[in-house]
Amino acid sequence: MTLLAKIRNLWAGRGFREEGAPVCHPIKLVFERFRRVLHFNNQALEIIADMGEMLGGAFIFDHQSILGLADRLAATVRSSIDALNELDENRHQDLYPVYDRLTTQLRDIMTGGEERQGPPLLPLSAIQPRHWGLVGGKFAHLAEICHDEQIRIPEGFVITSRTYHDLIDENGLRETLSSFEELMARPDTEETELEECRGRLEEAVKKANPPSGFREVLAGKLAQMRENTGGPLFLAIRSSAAEEDMELSFAGLFRSVLNVPAETDAIFRAYREVVASLFGPQPVQYRRQLTPGEGPMAIAVGCQRLVDAEVSGVAYSLDPLAPASPAMIITAAWGQGEVVVEGAIPTDSFRLEKSPPFRLLASQAADKKTGRYPAPDGGLEERSIPAAAQQDLCLTPVQLAEIAARVVHLENLAKRPVDVEWAIDGRGELYIIQARPLVIREQEVGTRALPAVLDAYEQLVSGQGKIAQQGIGAGPVFIVSSQEDLQHFPEGAVLVSRRDSSSFLRVMHRAAAILTEIGTPVSHMATLCREMRVPCLVDVPGILNKVHSGMEVTVDAEDRRIYKGRIPELAAYQAASLDLATSKEFRLLRRIIRTVSRLQLLDPLLQEFTPEACQTYHDILRYTHEIAVVKLVDVGRDERCLLRDHLVRRMELPIPAGILVIDIDGGLAPDAPPDQVEFKDVASVPFRAILEGMLYPDVWHRATMPVGFKDLVSSMLNAPPDAVAGQYSGHNIAVVSRDYVNLCFRFGYHFNIIDAHCHDVARDNHIYFRFLGGATDLTKRSRRAKLIALILEAFDFNVRTKGDLVIARAGNMVRSEMERTLDILGRLVGFTRQLDVRLDSDRSVEHYAEAFLLGNYDVISKEGGGAL
Amino acid sequence: MTADRNPPFRLLVVDDEPIVGKRLQQVFSKMGLEVEVFTSAMPALTAMAERPFDVVVTDLKMEGMDGMEVLARVKRSNPETRVIIITGYAEQETAKAAFNQGVFDFIAKPFRLDDLKRVIERALSAESADEQGRPD
Repeated sequence: MTLLAKIRNLWAGRGFREEGAPVCHPIKLVFERFRRVLHFNNQALEIIADMGEMLGGAFIFDHQSILGLADRLAATVRSSIDALNELDENRHQDLYPVYDRLTTQLRDIMTGGEERQGPPLLPLSAIQPRHWGLVGGKFAHLAEICHDEQIRIPEGFVITSRTYHDLIDENGLRETLSSFEELMARPDTEETELEECRGRLEEAVKKANPPSGFREVLAGKLAQMRENTGGPLFLAIRSSAAEEDMELSFAGLFRSVLNVPAETDAIFRAYREVVASLFGPQPVQYRRQLTPGEGPMAIAVGCQRLVDAEVSGVAYSLDPLAPASPAMIITAAWGQGEVVVEGAIPTDSFRLEKSPPFRLLASQAADKKTGRYPAPDGGLEERSIPAAAQQDLCLTPVQLAEIAARVVHLENLAKRPVDVEWAIDGRGELYIIQARPLVIREQEVGTRALPAVLDAYEQLVSGQGKIAQQGIGAGPVFIVSSQEDLQHFPEGAVLVSRRDSSSFLRVMHRAAAILTEIGTPVSHMATLCREMRVPCLVDVPGILNKVHSGMEVTVDAEDRRIYKGRIPELAAYQAASLDLATSKEFRLLRRIIRTVSRLQLLDPLLQEFTPEACQTYHDILRYTHEIAVVKLVDVGRDERCLLRDHLVRRMELPIPAGILVIDIDGGLAPDAPPDQVEFKDVASVPFRAILEGMLYPDVWHRATMPVGFKDLVSSMLNAPPDAVAGQYSGHNIAVVSRDYVNLCFRFGYHFNIIDAHCHDVARDNHIYFRFLGGATDLTKRSRRAKLIALILEAFDFNVRTKGDLVIARAGNMVRSEMERTLDILGRLVGFTRQLDVRLDSDRSVEHYAEAFLLGNYDVISKEGGGAL
Repeated sequence: MTADRNPPFRLLVVDDEPIVGKRLQQVFSKMGLEVEVFTSAMPALTAMAERPFDVVVTDLKMEGMDGMEVLARVKRSNPETRVIIITGYAEQETAKAAFNQGVFDFIAKPFRLDDLKRVIERALSAESADEQGRPD
């Protein structure tokens, strides 16, 4: 570089730069810029966390507040990208197009545009949460349960709301539809005007042509289904309007066309019939009366194989007439079940206990003279029931128990009472046709009298804990103290644990509620609870002392109360209460959260870590954070940059750790000596905690490790690249501020980073731990990685290993918990130093892990060797 | 807090987005209050004229009559009713004007349910104190 160029660079504020060396800004400036990235990242993550808590029910909000938050989030993510570019010389321009794409996607959701985008048709098994806006309410429910192994659903597909919009557009109906929606929105609309407009739409849709390309897509799908079936195939065509079976049922208002031959024209005709019913007189009146001002509504249509039912019916997981009793109701008739929901014929009714073995409490046989069955050429026909079967109960005790078990399982999945349509075919297979929230009227429950009733019950906890997910759940307590316990988790139990853990996901579909003694409502587990709608209280002091395994409790994660025993009145109250998850606002919020907050981009080392791979805002934030940390580590690693600023101070410790400290903001005491510092000078909270662990008695063992020749060769071949480059070999560098530490360790050929942020806001706190390498062959190094992983998992880190690489994360912890965990990391760093040499067998991994967890840090010194 | 009071405290909610009223109704009924919910101001005022409420929670920006007008009218007809304004547009000026007109509290949406519970508890305990002839 010429002198002139250097001067130009200087004027441009870029500092001196040697060929091949990084730009050397003063580290303080770099850190300030780094902090800006962190600041925007934290702000954005805070908005995402707030959205999560809103979904959990802790906030009151409306449509406007959701849009406002989403706008703020978009702006903050943008600021994070800007700040990264400022930190790293505009090297990350390629983030902008990714950001633009994701922002467009977000705006589509905010404006409801996503019901117009996506495939025209989706197989049931391929429906993902991101498609829920496309498949309507009824099939969003079915798609949610169709992968559950206990539930059998007839195979099929959904013609999405995108096809509905195409149908409207391509048949020139958009203008009429807009006038119709406008009339619906106005409270003072003349009935005759609305009726005329509605009628025109209904007729036009019945005659509409398929959108271009749709026939081909439909024909292809039907051919595939016919091939799979191998015989004649008939489908049931059912509506799935956007709001159907959500907050309101629209029960029976839209058309269903049953037993339609699986041929393109026939199915399309049936499809049109169902779509046209969106504009039928009854649904239109229903919308006017029950959902005024809720805006336009699109419709998707589900097409499933018709179950040739021998017997079918409806089950309620709670008796609507006696909601406080622990009983469920099943009604049944011979043949197809639509006669049951229509109330068209007399049906058998059963009342069963809700818990295994589902004892039959009462049954009543009806006189079933006829049933409805599929006609050979399509449609249904009425047939007489053989005289012998007319008076018989149409379900056997075994069938009743099977239905009951499924219904209880569905209730556990939905976390509230359910209304289920089911069918049993000629081979005795039980199918779930529909499952929706069961809503009963408040008058039947008597919410007004509830406070007095509830006060009479014994309360184990009152007004304590934090709500991670609102709701009510009751069941026997099951205490989880290890991963293994989860394998035995019973259906419908209340999970109680000391700490929260995302591994509970495995049993969330079966859990009635979750209680933890410590934890925060913004943890990963809390997020998962919200997605799975498991009522959950965290941070409930002393809960483990108040309950024992098998004890029945009722968790009210609305009022933060835990009752002894089951409180039937609360179960009844729950059935009558608004199912928040199905309200329009919660669904919008949930879609936004799914779009912005899923984290796909997990680790820079384990997968493609590029801007293009970012699929959500959270990915972008993860990316900007990682790149910013790398930038900071780079600057911290380059002695040429560091030494010139004269900010490096040597640490004098009672152990030979050889750490250089760079204080960027209050990490050392103001009166610390300028050249050499001691433990007492460290003001950085996370750094101090790590050092405390390293200095803990016996942790820093001084045993000699017998390195063999093979190990030595391995170590030379496997040394991390920057060891070969020779920079700061022998130095371990800590970049610290008051609440931050970035520690790069190298002890004998292994490379270890601890990056931690620790202050009073739990949400901002994180620990990032990376460990790689060693002086021995890969087998031993991998054993050490396994050892480290075992220990970190025991301390609730989220751990991934690959060969000799360990990456572990923890976060969302309160400050005291952070300090405790960092102390453990300090001990781990000391304890596992050079330990790979001793890991001759897999058994030795367990041996040392156990010693560490029991606090027997002196195991290594005792086992042998003189002083180092 | 209020479960054992007879007759129960009365709460009126007016917000043009139905979700707000629906949720507040659920929460405060469970706590033993008598709750009525409206999505526009006029019918809400009619209900108030028939039988006064202890606390009124009103949205600020609504079509037709806004929350400030609701506040003014309530204060004219039933000065002892506590009015709480909830709004997505938290402007200093509006908040100041509302306090000048005697609003009990002013809360920005989205807000924590617990925060509103506390404000309502305060409003009701202020009322009980009044009933017993003690100053606020």
